[in-house]
Amino acid sequence: MSGRYDAIVIGAGHNGLTTAALLARQGRRVLVLEQKEHIGGLAAAEEFHPGFWSCGVFQDTTLVSRRVADELELARHGLRWRTAPPDVLALGAPGDSLLLAGEVARATAAIRQRQPQDGERYPRYIAALEGLREVLRSFLDAAPLDPTSNEALDPRVLWRPGLRLRRLGRRGLLEFLRLPPLCTADWLDEWFADDLLKAALSLPPLASTFMGPRSPGGTALLLRQAGLAGPGVEGGGPALVAAIAGAARTHGAEIRNGAPVAEVRMAGKVQGVKLASGETFDAPVVAASCHPQQLLALLTLRSLPGRLTERLQHYRSRGTTAQVLFALRAPLRFKGYENLPVEFARTGASMLDIERAFDAVKYGRIAERPVLEIHAPSSNGEARPPGDRAVAPAGAVAPAGAVASVLVHYAPWNLEPGWDAKQRDRLGERVQEMVRERASGLEVVARRVFAPPDFEALYALPGGNLHHGDHALDQLLLRPAAGCVGYRTPIPGLYLCGSGSHPGGGLTCLPGALAARSILAD
Amino acid sequence: MSAKTRSTDLAQAERSAGSAPAKPARSSYDAIVVGGGHNGLACAAYLAKAGKSVLVLERRHLVGGACVSEQIVPGFTFSACSYIVSLLRPQVVRELDLPRFGLEILPLESTFTPFPDGRSLARWSDPQRTRLEIAAFSARDADVYPEFGLAMSRLAHFIKPTIDNPAPDPTSLSPRELGAMRRLGLSVRNLDRDLRELAIRLTTMSAVDFLDLFFESEHLKTPMSASGIIGTFLGVRSPGTAYVLLHHYMGEIDGSYRAWGFVKGGMGRISLALAGAAQAHGAEILTHSPVARFRVRDGRASGVVLENGDEIAARAVISALDPHRTFLKLVGAEHLEPDFLAGIRRYKLRGSSGKVNLALDRFPDFTCRPGAGAHLMGDVSIAPNIAYLERAYDDAKYGAFSRRPFLNIVFPSLADPTVAPPGKHVMSIFVQYAPYWLAEGPESWPAQREAFADTVIQTLAEYCPSLPDAILHRHVLTPWDLEQEYGLTEGNIFHGELGLEQMLFLRPVPGWARYRTPLRQLWMCAAGTHPGGGVMGASGELAAKTLLRSGGV
Repeated sequence: MSGRYDAIVIGAGHNGLTTAALLARQGRRVLVLEQKEHIGGLAAAEEFHPGFWSCGVFQDTTLVSRRVADELELARHGLRWRTAPPDVLALGAPGDSLLLAGEVARATAAIRQRQPQDGERYPRYIAALEGLREVLRSFLDAAPLDPTSNEALDPRVLWRPGLRLRRLGRRGLLEFLRLPPLCTADWLDEWFADDLLKAALSLPPLASTFMGPRSPGGTALLLRQAGLAGPGVEGGGPALVAAIAGAARTHGAEIRNGAPVAEVRMAGKVQGVKLASGETFDAPVVAASCHPQQLLALLTLRSLPGRLTERLQHYRSRGTTAQVLFALRAPLRFKGYENLPVEFARTGASMLDIERAFDAVKYGRIAERPVLEIHAPSSNGEARPPGDRAVAPAGAVAPAGAVASVLVHYAPWNLEPGWDAKQRDRLGERVQEMVRERASGLEVVARRVFAPPDFEALYALPGGNLHHGDHALDQLLLRPAAGCVGYRTPIPGLYLCGSGSHPGGGLTCLPGALAARSILAD
Repeated sequence: MSAKTRSTDLAQAERSAGSAPAKPARSSYDAIVVGGGHNGLACAAYLAKAGKSVLVLERRHLVGGACVSEQIVPGFTFSACSYIVSLLRPQVVRELDLPRFGLEILPLESTFTPFPDGRSLARWSDPQRTRLEIAAFSARDADVYPEFGLAMSRLAHFIKPTIDNPAPDPTSLSPRELGAMRRLGLSVRNLDRDLRELAIRLTTMSAVDFLDLFFESEHLKTPMSASGIIGTFLGVRSPGTAYVLLHHYMGEIDGSYRAWGFVKGGMGRISLALAGAAQAHGAEILTHSPVARFRVRDGRASGVVLENGDEIAARAVISALDPHRTFLKLVGAEHLEPDFLAGIRRYKLRGSSGKVNLALDRFPDFTCRPGAGAHLMGDVSIAPNIAYLERAYDDAKYGAFSRRPFLNIVFPSLADPTVAPPGKHVMSIFVQYAPYWLAEGPESWPAQREAFADTVIQTLAEYCPSLPDAILHRHVLTPWDLEQEYGLTEGNIFHGELGLEQMLFLRPVPGWARYRTPLRQLWMCAAGTHPGGGVMGASGELAAKTLLRSGGV
């Protein structure tokens, strides 16, 4: 087997695998190099306690691109779409909750019971977002224009997006321009009265960001989410990754685990890579799905063309999420919903609650009552997608039990006085207490806490930011930096294909897909 | 220009302040301006200069709105609300000949920040002195500072045309608008790539994050970032505060950028000069004349109705009040279409600041740099570190005034001895944050007023211990007072927040950003219209010129 390929992809997360699969499908010889012993990155199932597997770090699969999934025929590789987004149980003050169903009609009924006016508005709210979806998608699911380039000023380029915007009509266009700078609190206050409903709607776009409901620009993130939103997939991140890997392998891509890349070899243009072990591979194209600042470490050039190094060093990547994983004796059931298995829940009785939780992270602290996103699959078995050796060992037998994963917002990377075992334990205790308040019969077998520095160490994410870089407006427009917006870098043959590129993080697969398109076009 | 003419014009201008209630000379005018704030006065002056018959109606006993000089304490002249001038448009000064009517601006030489550890930072109009001061904290920052100023100046230069022209309309396909867009595109092309990137960063980032791109010293970044939140309900870490930094960089007095100043005789002299100019061109100004509502029928405004019942007709009525007062009080919801009404209702005011004006028996020393030196002849900021500023904001979010507030202070009596008796002083303190919407409701502000002022004095006493004993009188304006006394709805000093969602072509309501209102013959100006808040006179000027061009008067 020769070490020569058409393309090498660094990182076998969902984006890297997407790039590999799309390139392989077009007949390219692709090698994927993954530093960990298994594929999947943040989406991979992890055995955090003997016999107990997580469902990955990300809970939300509703952002997975249908277009990309269809292009890769992921259904043939085991991926199952949900019929509607999952129900989410919004937990307010003790005894107060709202089941926010994925289906609009059911959700509306529940909302109407609490606030009749909100019930009248909710379908219109959903419709308003849906009305923008096409325009939003046309920006999100396309290679971005570098806004600092002359191309971004060229009428020959601008007329097409300009036309799309004009189709919104004058009022629609003004509204479209009015929304992005709004904080989510102001936006949702325009629509609804129920604090719990507003909290539930404002949290997802803000999760893992350095913003709270009162931060200007939050509505831009909410619109981004609305533009990407779909029904989601069964089996979570692990199922997604297994399907993409299956597609990649079917088209002939090679995936090597336990193969950390130490260097991208160059001589004016890309030549290939060298592993930490010293082994080398040759390819004219290298696509990096790792964090952009991680890529800097793999480049031996002192300074990249176009002040790129300096810009990348200023790229903000502040982790604000911790994860607490619970191994349980029995599936988690919520008080008042004992007979209705609820898979997803979140806390936060109001947007002010979320804002208070956010405040703490500015001072290197965690709030008294952080906001929690709880994922409670109904059995441990569901956390392990069937039949993929690369994700879970075949033949492993799980003891009876279940898991619950809690994402904690907001938890700073730079906790005062520092993340040690005691601090992790304190957080774990607090989260367990908060979950116990809302759960029936919680029996914890084991518990593990992952703080932002753990994500940094385990997944090569500087700052521990799960999106490979802050979802801040300037960093979504200039991702990751002016001069390498849009997957190509100033180095011929070197591409970016991870969440550190447009349209950003979460389980979308779009950066990987759009990068592949650029590579194939060149 | 003889001294005699000048003093006559000045005297005439002063007579318009504090006039006893009078009746208007006519029953009908070309234009009635409701609200005698500085923008209303500017608008009136331009209309009168164009030969129109103009009447200005002011509720209070003197004109100026929030741009006033008041002798709350005999012998002491307070700039009761606004306290510093910077962006007053040069063309307004020139075209209305304001110096003839008493306007004299004394440049601010410095901006001073004392720190709790006894150190302090003064930045001067002299770059060499500034370099030395910054170098005491960071040699690297001292080198970068002038480069930063240069980059900001170039961006300010690029942005400046938007202040002096009506808001662009990105939804319009008219040749004029497309031409303006094309010119904008060309001017962007003239910016190099680094500056274009900076412009994007500037409009989206927080003040702190933006300054982090350039500077390392928190002692420098803290006072710089504080200028990004003045008058806003945002924190220095809130996205969207970096661009406000630019606003404050765009000061232009006699041609030099970032030049700020005192007005001799207090800020009210600007308003008096504008009033003088208006009257010299034949405008009538009536104080003690509150307007109850506009006379509206069939979608058309035909005049005003005073609170005393008198009706005065006009071909055009211009409101210089904030958008909520204009439409919800003086027009009435029943005359407005649901869409427009919704747009006005969601226009955000949410005042966040207060003012404490002090008459002092003697000058208070700052422990870290004693003496009434040149370092105190500019503005002084109490802003010890970024976490402090952010906590001050956090308090306000949950409905309380800041327990440890951000303060921006000037001692106008140092540069202008006319505002206080010899040896005595005026201290003007701008306070953030003081949210109108207290958790207990805005009506509880009067009960909290003294505690609020005490917090301010106690905070200052940490830096100048001799202050409390030197206070002869304290004049406290909470957001409630700003609303009750000065007509600023919810105490917002800018007639509405300066967030991008309600600026430019979105101010005050999308589609109604060019001084017209949905009611025929009713126009609007002042800070609730483009280009927004601050003592600029720009909106008054632009509204007048737009109205004149339209032929509606």
